[in-house]
Formats: sequence, C-alpha cells, structure tokens
Amino acid sequence: MNDGAQHVVSRLMRESLVDKKVIAGTESAVRAILPALNVVQIGGLSIMDRGHSAVLPLLDEIVANQGDHTQVVGVGPGVRARHILSVGLDLGLPTGALATLAAKSSAQNAYMVSCLLANHGFVYLEAPFIVQLLPAMLAAARGAVFNGIPPYDLWEHPPAIGKLPPHGSDAGSYLIGEVFGARSVILVKDVDGLYDADPKTNPGAKLIPEIDAAKLKRMALPTLPIEPVVLDLLTRARLAKSIRIVNGLKRGNLTRALAGEAIGTLIHG
Amino acid sequence: MPQESDNALLTELGQRLVGGSLSDAAIQRATDAIPTHAILPWVNVVKIGGQSIMDRGRSAVGPVVSEIVANLKRHKMILGTGAGTRARHVYSLAIDLGLPVGVLTVLGTAVAWQNAQMLQYLLAEHGIAFLEPEGFASLPHYLMERGAVICQGMPPYKLWEQNPDVGRIPPQRTDTGCFLIAEVFGARRMIYVKDEDGLYTADPKKDRNATHIPRISVQELLARDLDDLVVERAVLELMLNARNIREIQFVNGLKPGQLTAALDGEPVGTVIYNDAAGGRA
Repeated sequence: MNDGAQHVVSRLMRESLVDKKVIAGTESAVRAILPALNVVQIGGLSIMDRGHSAVLPLLDEIVANQGDHTQVVGVGPGVRARHILSVGLDLGLPTGALATLAAKSSAQNAYMVSCLLANHGFVYLEAPFIVQLLPAMLAAARGAVFNGIPPYDLWEHPPAIGKLPPHGSDAGSYLIGEVFGARSVILVKDVDGLYDADPKTNPGAKLIPEIDAAKLKRMALPTLPIEPVVLDLLTRARLAKSIRIVNGLKRGNLTRALAGEAIGTLIHG
Repeated sequence: MPQESDNALLTELGQRLVGGSLSDAAIQRATDAIPTHAILPWVNVVKIGGQSIMDRGRSAVGPVVSEIVANLKRHKMILGTGAGTRARHVYSLAIDLGLPVGVLTVLGTAVAWQNAQMLQYLLAEHGIAFLEPEGFASLPHYLMERGAVICQGMPPYKLWEQNPDVGRIPPQRTDTGCFLIAEVFGARRMIYVKDEDGLYTADPKKDRNATHIPRISVQELLARDLDDLVVERAVLELMLNARNIREIQFVNGLKPGQLTAALDGEPVGTVIYNDAAGGRA
C-alpha cells in the first residue's frame, strides 16, 4: 500500500499512536538506567526557608552518606514561589506562566545547596544537563543537585481547580527517580510523614507508616504533605514504585531512609 | 520564616498562599478569582502533522507552505510540527532496548525538531524564524514583524515525561505540546493540519464504513471511548481543564483551502469543543 508518505520501516510504521491496540502492543519491560541512584528531594518551605539551622545538618547527613550511596538532590522552591504565585495571580497570568516563574525560585534554592555541597564534589545541573550529562557527572563528580520543579514551563497543565501549577518539586524529583529507575526517592520535609489529619492543626493525628497511592487518593484528605499529582504518577510507576517521606529536622532520618529502614511514610504505587 | 501578618505587601490570597497548603482545595479555588489575562489573543496555533504531512515530502508540504505564506498578512500563526515515521522507528527501537518513556520523549523531540527545521528552510525567505522553547519570550516580536514563527511541537518535558496508563509510548506528544502553547497564550484558534477531513467513527484508512464527524463535544468524544482518535487522548483530557481554549479544529492539509477556511473561522473538517459552561468540565 502506498499512502504517499515516505516511511521508515518499523513495527509502528503507518500505525496510529493513539490506537489502543497499538499502544497495548508496546507493553514490555523497562530497563533501569541508573539503578543505584537515590533521589533526595529537599523541601522548600519545610527545610530551605528555615535557613542554616535546618539546612546544614541535613547537608552534613547527605555528605556522611556519600561513600555508601549515590545521591542526586532535588530542591523545592518555598516561600518566594508562594510570593510570585500571589503577584502573578493578581496580574491574571495563566498557569504556564506561573510555572515558569515559580521554577526560578527552586533553581535559586538548588544553586545555594550546590554551593554548600561543592566542596564535596556535588555539581548543579540545569534540566538540559540532566538530560545530557547526569551519568557522566555522577561518575566524575560525587553527586548532583537539580531544580526539583520539572521543566514544564509554559507547557504546564491547567489544573482541575484554580490556576496553581500542579507539577512542583515533588513531582519533578519523583519523575527523575522513575526515568532513571532509581533505588529510592526520598522526600525530606518538616513532618514525620503522612498523617490521617494535618498534624499542625490536629494534635490527635496518627502517622501512617505505609500506604498505597490509590487508597490514599480515595481517602481524599483535605491537605497532603506532598503534591497530589505524585499519587497519580505512582499509580503508573514502572520502576520507581514508591516514595518515602521523612522528617529532615530530625538527625539520622535520611540515613535510615537511605539504608532502607522503615522510617517516616512509604507511599507505593 | 516570615510571619504572614507582617507581610502588608501581600494580597489576602497571597497571605493564604504563603501560610497555607497548595493542595488545599479552598486555596486552589481562590486562585480563580482574578480573570486570566490572554497573552496573545490574536495568535493562531497551527500544527503541521508529521506522518500525515511532513513525511509525504514536496507533494503535501509544498501546498501547505504556499497556503501559510498566503495567510501571513491576514493571520498570525505559531507553526508547530509533528514527528512522524522516524519517531515510530526510534520509539520501536528504544522500546526494544528497554528504555523508559522519558528517554523516548527526548528521542521523539529530535524528530519533531528535524521537521521544524525543514519547514523553516522552506519559509525562511519570508523572514520566518524557528524558536526553541527557551526563546519563546521573543515570540511576540517575531509575530508582529513577520506574522509567524516555527517551533517543534513536542512539549519540553524530555526525561520528565509521565508514563502512560498502558504501554510505553509517551502520552504527551506534539498534539499536546501545540495545544498547551495555544492554552497558555490564550490563542484565537488551535488548528491541526492532518491528512484526513477530521474525525471519523473509525480509522478511514483502514475502515471503509467510517463516517465523518463534523462537530462533537470533548465530553461526548471521551464517553464514546473510541479505539482510535484523530488526536492524542491527553489533549482531550487537558481540554476539560483548559481555561482559554474552548475548541480545537482538524483540517485536511492535502485539500488546498481548508487551512485558510479554518483560519477564517469557518467550520471545515472537525471541531471538538468543550460543552461545559464557563470553559471547565
């Protein structure tokens, strides 16, 4: 059959990539590119905005684990992103513009973290360099720091409610773990994990040590310590099938999480 | 940490954003209070298909280029390109090698980029520039000066692309990338140029009994749960949440005049529209 197009012979030649049968036919195993990698996401509001009293002990712990674990460190934006979201919303800017603006705040935080870890061989990698250079940098350098917010920029999805960009630094760090087939994705926050109610307003709230992402979504808690979109990503996980939330204000928690101990909350897909 | 009470510079919403959780639905709803500013309300986003147009070479691309040139003084256009057969080849190979969706997205982006470069060589004599996502801040200037710019259609997600529900093919490709450009800029129209007259009840290339659908709501189309579609499913899902783009149009680039008619607002091809009041499902 000659349909007028000049084709390259392949299994998907002339096929509609939207066809459900074609899509189902591509189901097969995925290889982990960097299976020894650990992604450590440092919260913006929860850790960075607290300054040296919270940040430096955590970075010491990252350095202390450098010999045993390969770590890439994602960093979240914090209060400056909240401020520019506020100004941007007031000016009527759309979600894609807000996402582009907020990503600069986490880039600043990531750059500061990379300066504090530079002495130990960590490098700061912008998104294009994650794509091109991360494996080489991990082999030559001794770790890397990246902007936790994914490079969706103007192409950020409009959310179901309101205008806030749905993919923040939790989603971006998780997606790095998933694409490289990382050993673990650890989200470092200022709470001990996930509770059945907000522990900041409800002293009777109970810690949930382990939960399924789909089940957690069904619980429809009014607030979560992570971006809700991460739960959707986890239900479609191929390689990074869980995330762990730990309290970075308590010394030793990150080390225990890196060692695979049941600390904080494990959410699996 | 700053206290929200000392922040007299912040709006009331700003104080809630600084102090509260961004996953709180009440705060999310409050962000809808101010109407969205349409950044480029006069621009049209036109996606030129990869397999459907570019892979056909001169016989299909030539007339489409002529029609774009004829419309340069009448309509401002962001021209995005699809990927096509080389993407199908590289996806097949990469899937066989066990590579993840994020890597396939990097590979597919290169194919859409090649097509965008070729299109730009054909339009260069009319002063049409190619812009990478990083250069999009210059879009308004090029559009005002020359009436059109070219970009590759893939969203810049690269390694950060999300897994599909089923299979290994990146779910958000060039249809999605072009749609999101139209949405963020508050564009006048989103037009997809393909090699069919629009949407059919089945793939007209494979099923002779397929009938044409001139106009359908995104809600109904999703409810029909067709095995095959004229557009990536991600676009239909995003349409439900889109604030600016109320409808998208599909025209046949092999039939001269259809793109012009769509740019003029005529109902050629197929229009998929959002049936929900207020632009949201």
